[in-house]
Amino acid sequence: MLYKKYLKMHLKSSFEYRLNTIFVGVSQSLITVGELLALYFMFQTFESVGPWGFYECLLMFGILMTAYPIVECFFRGYDNFSLLVKFGELDRLLVRPVNIHYQILGSKIEFSKIGRVFVGIIASVIALLNLNITFTFAKILVLIASYLCAICFFLGVFVLSAGISVFTIEKMEFLNIITNGSKELANYPINIYTKWITRFFTFVLPVACFNYLPLSYLMDVGNLPSWLYAISPIFGMLFAVPCFAFFNLSLKKYQGTGT
Amino acid sequence: MKSYFGIFKMQFKGQLQYRAKAISGLTTQFFWGLFKIYLYLAFMINQAVDGFTTSQMVSYIWLGQAFFAVSFISLPKNSEQEIVKGDVCYKFIRPLNLYNQWFFESFGEKLANILLRCFPIIIIALILPSPLTLSAPTSWVHFILFLTSLIISLFLSVTLGMVAVYLTIKTLMPKGALDIVNVISGLLGGFYIPLPFMPQSIQNVLNYLPFRYVSDLPFRIYSGSLDISTSIIQIAISLAWLFALIFVVKLLMHFALKKTIVQGG
Repeated sequence: MLYKKYLKMHLKSSFEYRLNTIFVGVSQSLITVGELLALYFMFQTFESVGPWGFYECLLMFGILMTAYPIVECFFRGYDNFSLLVKFGELDRLLVRPVNIHYQILGSKIEFSKIGRVFVGIIASVIALLNLNITFTFAKILVLIASYLCAICFFLGVFVLSAGISVFTIEKMEFLNIITNGSKELANYPINIYTKWITRFFTFVLPVACFNYLPLSYLMDVGNLPSWLYAISPIFGMLFAVPCFAFFNLSLKKYQGTGT
Repeated sequence: MKSYFGIFKMQFKGQLQYRAKAISGLTTQFFWGLFKIYLYLAFMINQAVDGFTTSQMVSYIWLGQAFFAVSFISLPKNSEQEIVKGDVCYKFIRPLNLYNQWFFESFGEKLANILLRCFPIIIIALILPSPLTLSAPTSWVHFILFLTSLIISLFLSVTLGMVAVYLTIKTLMPKGALDIVNVISGLLGGFYIPLPFMPQSIQNVLNYLPFRYVSDLPFRIYSGSLDISTSIIQIAISLAWLFALIFVVKLLMHFALKKTIVQGG
């Protein structure tokens, strides 16, 4: 209920600055379009990368570029959490009789990111139309699960970095390697990189679970048994659980900055 | 001129203070470089590209990361706030040209950024094992041409930053303005993907635009993928672009500032 109110409030405020929201929205989507063009040009020069062609990569790009802006739009509060800690605002939130997560969620909603979601969806649709996938019920489920997995993953990463900032107070720039790095890597299938990168981004940060693993299932390729590919998005979604647990734990240790 | 040099020196020294920030930025840049190199290596395993070998690609990427501040277009540090909040009126009062004030601020900032960050990345890249290592420049001539081109690139980058300042003055939306300039210059300048990976027809067009002279030409010269005579011709083109752009942006800025309304404050 409360979230609805927050949502309405943010929607109203961004409608006050209509031109600004639209301008920033357009320029943000241009970034995604630029990345899309870069991907396209790469495959104009090269026919394939590893076993993957253009449309396979486009689908992975589509999943990523749909999910990431959604997380940026609705869960930006976690990304800016370090500011709450730094300026002592968190104390104020903590004394309120409302769950802290509600308040963080409501603290920032960026509607200008929605434009990027459209670019991501368009990319996904183009890819799906051009890929020869014989859809079964299970495949549709896996596809939807991959989008959800990507959302859960980036939410988890945001929450994790918020939890860390309780201790470090400042937002650590090296965490960018995790957030932006996994975003950058997931533009392309994770298994074309060198082994240690692939392993790290499969088992530690499960980027592969919304990347080449579910795609292997959709395309009926790969050496592993297909059910393993099919359940990979679920494994990826679970990543968010320890992140939230860590966040809650670090809140218990919160001491305030004294401002 | 002396006061402009003072502005430059102030920003330069100020920026040198942010050492911790530089170190964490450096780590990011380093991993970025690694990711990119592994990505393009994967592409290049299947298929060679005319006149651009893997070791040239690796050098290209490392230099791009080391001189990230050149490739990335940014606004002068405080200009965003000055324009939007109206603090710019203090700069108007000074008996100095506003364009030049911003230009030298930005220049000092970028140069300090580069000097803080480029050496560690270059040194690490030089000692990395085989496929990842940054090769030495092809010859002394190439190296000198590389430095010349890099300096022009730095000026071009600052000038493109001034285009973003102009757009900010016009729209009062610094983030959007900067994004647009960066997407265009990044995609057409070889910052998103190295230009040799672009289709040939597009590359031919890009030779006539200013963007590739920001983040492509110096690194191409260093890696030896351009011969000396071509390099010299292209450096001349980049120099011509630099003067043309400075002239146009100064003119635009002149007209934009004539009609400036500073609202309260």
